[in-house]
Amino acid sequence: MIRRVGRFGWSRRLTALAFLTLIAVGGRVDPGWFTGTAAATEIGGVLRLVDPLAALESSLASRSLGIDVLLGAGLLLGFAVLMGPVFCGWICPMGLLLDLNEGLRIRVARVLGRRGVQLPAWHLPRSSASRLRFVVLGGLLGFALVGRWPVFQIVSPIQAVASSAAHGVTAMLALSAVVLAVDWLAPRIWCRALCPLGATYALAGAFAPFRVRVDLAEAGRTPCRSCTRHCPMGVPVMEEYALQGRPSVDALECTRCGACVDACPSSVLGFGVVDRSSSGGNGRRSGKTDAPRSAVAEPAREPRKVCEVGS
Amino acid sequence: MQRGDVSDRTPLRDGTMAVGSRRGFVAGLVALGCGAGAGAGLGAVARGSEVTARLRPPGAGRQSDFLAACIRCGQCSAACPQDALCVVGGWSVLLGGDFAGYATPEVDDPRARPCTLCPEHDAMPCVAACPTDALTDPGARDAVYMGTAVLNTATCFAYNGVTCRACWHACPYPGTALAFDERLRPVVAAEHCVGCGLCIHACLTEEASIHIAPRREQAARGGAA
Repeated sequence: MIRRVGRFGWSRRLTALAFLTLIAVGGRVDPGWFTGTAAATEIGGVLRLVDPLAALESSLASRSLGIDVLLGAGLLLGFAVLMGPVFCGWICPMGLLLDLNEGLRIRVARVLGRRGVQLPAWHLPRSSASRLRFVVLGGLLGFALVGRWPVFQIVSPIQAVASSAAHGVTAMLALSAVVLAVDWLAPRIWCRALCPLGATYALAGAFAPFRVRVDLAEAGRTPCRSCTRHCPMGVPVMEEYALQGRPSVDALECTRCGACVDACPSSVLGFGVVDRSSSGGNGRRSGKTDAPRSAVAEPAREPRKVCEVGS
Repeated sequence: MQRGDVSDRTPLRDGTMAVGSRRGFVAGLVALGCGAGAGAGLGAVARGSEVTARLRPPGAGRQSDFLAACIRCGQCSAACPQDALCVVGGWSVLLGGDFAGYATPEVDDPRARPCTLCPEHDAMPCVAACPTDALTDPGARDAVYMGTAVLNTATCFAYNGVTCRACWHACPYPGTALAFDERLRPVVAAEHCVGCGLCIHACLTEEASIHIAPRREQAARGGAA
């Protein structure tokens, strides 16, 4: 297995690390302009952001909706409506740990592979995984409404990392460790099949115009499957999008992490804004024919280089 | 690989194809509904289970209402100028069965770091920092209801023949929340005590002779739990 960490890979590790550093500094040094954890942050004494799932759970459980919650969570949801679930790929502290964990796992797998030992890599079928996340999310919301506890704010492995960085509240880190351990048997099962925060952002960003666009003129010339193999969320980027004549990766799971763009040895994939007026703003297109190239705002470019099949 | 040989698109009734995100969105909503039913069932089982009463920040309501609204973000604790609020989060909390209380704030040691109700601030910083309705502005400081002070008359100096007014001097509402009886012994008026714990901080006996019984499910001060 070959994994390349390209410019987006490094960029998103940096942004996630910056967020975690801010949390630790805000909680322990108090710079005066930032305090917060993954649940809520206050920047510059003015800008308050509230985790949308925390806001939903709290509002349902307490049957109230304050202006701070509405604005703080609304800003983040509004961002996701335009940009998709970028929190997952670029900010999430647990995502950062899983990224680093994966890097380690691949190195270990390579060493073991030379000795003929294969690491297990169990995957839930994609359709079950994507549905399970929403079942978990629904379960938490139903529980919040009836049981009156915002359960995910207690057991979240994401908040466990943030909260231990900021306040030294460490007991739930055990759960984060379990998520990292399970990741060795079933890669990314937390993000793909379980995380309710990811599910919240995925629903909000389901129709986000900012997407990974596919240059259909170049797609399929060198079907190397690099994009599919590098997608942390298990989206078959090449098979279901590039080779299906779809001008953009419309998967609900896509976190805009850019792993496929980094991995693409040609110039088939890139970030762009989907022009919804020509791709069908209501989400429907006719037939199985290739969509017009004008469906993507950015014009097609010349390929940078041609890759070997299966590189 | 042939173009179009792997298809995840299902024809809709009118013969057109649904884009992945739309189909996924609808499937997601259906799955969410199923989960919500299951979660509501579990919630009904868990509802009304006993919660550990802790000395919550001023502005908190009933324990159960506080636990419902608090998102465990720790912003109140970060904002507290007195360093009186800590985030509960050790193993003992979980092992002790206080699952709901994990990562919530409490005034953990009023003997050392009591809540002063921040009279120097217009709005209490913890309440101002709280992004949800877990902490709400009580209006006036004397409307705060964190708990009720309880005297240990066995060790209290005044009840054992020694004149002492330490708690009375520390109390933000002397004469109403904490008054003296005809023998100059302190008496707590439960309908006026805000439960800040300044008396615990001031108490002169080796072990404080006064403690706060945290508010449980009482709607108003002096009421039954």
